[in-house]
Amino acid sequence: MKTTSMKKLLVAMTAAATLGTAGTSYAEDPIRIGGIYILSGSASTYGEFAQKGIDLAVSEINASGGILGRQVEMIYEDSQGKASVAIQAARKLVYSENADALVGLDSSGVAQGMVPTMPELQKPLIITHAATPDVTGKLCNPFTYRISVNVAQNMKAAALVAAETDATNWTTIGPDYAFGHQSWEFFGNYLKEIKPDVNLMSETNFPRFGAEDFTPFIDRVMNSDAEGVLISVWGGDLVNFIRQANTRGFFDKDMEVMFTVGAATEVLSALGEEMPEGVHLSTRYWYDAYDNEVNDRFVKAYVDAYGTAPSYNAEGAYAAIYAYKQAMEAAGTTEGSAVAAALSGMSMDAPNGKVTFRAGDHQAMVSPNWGVSGPMDSELGIRSLTNLQIFDGEKVARTIEETGCKL
Amino acid sequence: MSGIGAALLNSLDIGLLLFIIAVGLNIVFGVLNIINFAHGALYMLGAYLAFTLINLVGMPFWAALLLAPIGVAILAVIIDRVLLKFIYSRDVADSLLLTFAILLIINESVRVIWGSGIQVVQPPQLLSGSVELLGSSVSTYSLFVIVVGLLLLAGLWYLFNRTRVGRIMRAAALDRDMAEALCINTRMVVTGVFAFGAWLAAVGGVVAAPMRALDPGMGDKIIIESFIVVVIGGLGSFPGALLGAIILGLIHGFGGRYLPEVNLLLPFLGMALVLLFKPNGIMGKGATA
Repeated sequence: MKTTSMKKLLVAMTAAATLGTAGTSYAEDPIRIGGIYILSGSASTYGEFAQKGIDLAVSEINASGGILGRQVEMIYEDSQGKASVAIQAARKLVYSENADALVGLDSSGVAQGMVPTMPELQKPLIITHAATPDVTGKLCNPFTYRISVNVAQNMKAAALVAAETDATNWTTIGPDYAFGHQSWEFFGNYLKEIKPDVNLMSETNFPRFGAEDFTPFIDRVMNSDAEGVLISVWGGDLVNFIRQANTRGFFDKDMEVMFTVGAATEVLSALGEEMPEGVHLSTRYWYDAYDNEVNDRFVKAYVDAYGTAPSYNAEGAYAAIYAYKQAMEAAGTTEGSAVAAALSGMSMDAPNGKVTFRAGDHQAMVSPNWGVSGPMDSELGIRSLTNLQIFDGEKVARTIEETGCKL
Repeated sequence: MSGIGAALLNSLDIGLLLFIIAVGLNIVFGVLNIINFAHGALYMLGAYLAFTLINLVGMPFWAALLLAPIGVAILAVIIDRVLLKFIYSRDVADSLLLTFAILLIINESVRVIWGSGIQVVQPPQLLSGSVELLGSSVSTYSLFVIVVGLLLLAGLWYLFNRTRVGRIMRAAALDRDMAEALCINTRMVVTGVFAFGAWLAAVGGVVAAPMRALDPGMGDKIIIESFIVVVIGGLGSFPGALLGAIILGLIHGFGGRYLPEVNLLLPFLGMALVLLFKPNGIMGKGATA
């Protein structure tokens, strides 16, 4: 009995020892980038979009000589949508997989938990999806950047759209965590600023994330005197929401309906014609909105590789890898703090135009897209976006003082 | 007033769907003494098989409702013969570990086979509209869910109280050794009960498919709800599953409409209250369960 457990202990120690030796790296080694996304469970489709975008960027970069003459290698970890798991994944990627840089994060909750550990790891992180303003606000730090649109930017744009409508009484339906609450908070504040006579209703609706049945909240809004409703429900929940809202006649009411993540291609293709016409839809990147060389190349390569139009999450992840290429080449090294420093204030050409990481808070000045759902695009089987507005990234961003970020 | 009618019907359709799933969980526990963590995954498999039969093969919904649960039940027989047979004589905790492993395997398989994207199944033509009832517009499909739930309820009651098969199942639940001594083939009963539980989960999945979007996490969502039902109603109890499911349905249906600020808290509050006063659930049996 005793000897066997001793043996096991020895085996474990030997295994642990070999882990340690993997710690040396050589200049000829590939550059390793760690990706932390939701790769299992409900929202894993978002992680897969990110992987598709990244894999495309990596194969393009490797085919044209790599970064600093070195090939790029991706290592992925599953965050499971949990902050604690993501933190562990980040430590594993940096300490035992020798990742030079990190990309990732699909959820605001995960981002809020993980970002404070980045200075400990001394490696740069580019967030490509999670939208909480806090990580480029009061939680900001020298190693954390975000290439995707945040809630504050998108809600400023939403408020500008809402201000153009006749609706005075506004309410919200959003998931009951950081994203839903912050969306409403920022939207309300901006809208009140632009149009002081609006009424932000005290009756708000925050169903559980993953609630499946949203009819109680749909009924509640229909029975209220709301004239406008901001809906930040997303992903599979949004598909459920819209189908249930259809059966209740929610969209027949004379109401301005704004979906803050409604023009996500995965939601549109799941819904097809069930997505109603005439509602306001936003996305952080609409593949058809940008007329530039990088976007043309990206959309074409993406459609060729995967057969569908790129989702916003694929675009952000794709661009993040190119951001690292540019930053590492500017710094002339892959050393963590040098690359992080190079990203600050850096401008690059991304599919969604010229993107600049603002030095004051490390938020990319990117443009939210808002449009109105129109006729079906028969080729892709999704609703088209009409009256498409591309908001100026600089103009919808908070000032550095407003972010509360001190770098 | 109209609001209450809508809330009531909504509570029933949520509750009866939960009943279909939770009752399978309870039957399996009652007879086999196994807490089947993979029950939600079997529900998901039912939904995905229905999606395949309806959207990809082009079968009508009704054929999928018949075939998909049978497919899942066959898989359950295999799971029982290959894996579960080793743990029936062991502690309940071991079954939890093994079925959790099965859950992970099924979840990942679904993701590999069907992809992680969001899928949608259309309700059959007959049930795709909505009707005016109790002063509000209700989708015909949610009425159908209520009807299926009630039919299964009646069928299960009949099975357990009026048929030989039901009596054998109850006998095996009460005392397996004695049942064996009375020449009941408990080995077959065990496999049959597990497959029947899986069949119920899959029926729930097919019925849920036209009103809830499919994704590889749908099984995890429903298993948590089902466990709440079981805790409230009582583990292993057939009427407990009904009571727990209806209570949770009412919590969702009314809580979301009238107490939205605490809708997240309510199911757990209900669970805590029950645990405080009836630690074995409202219909739970003594401490031996």
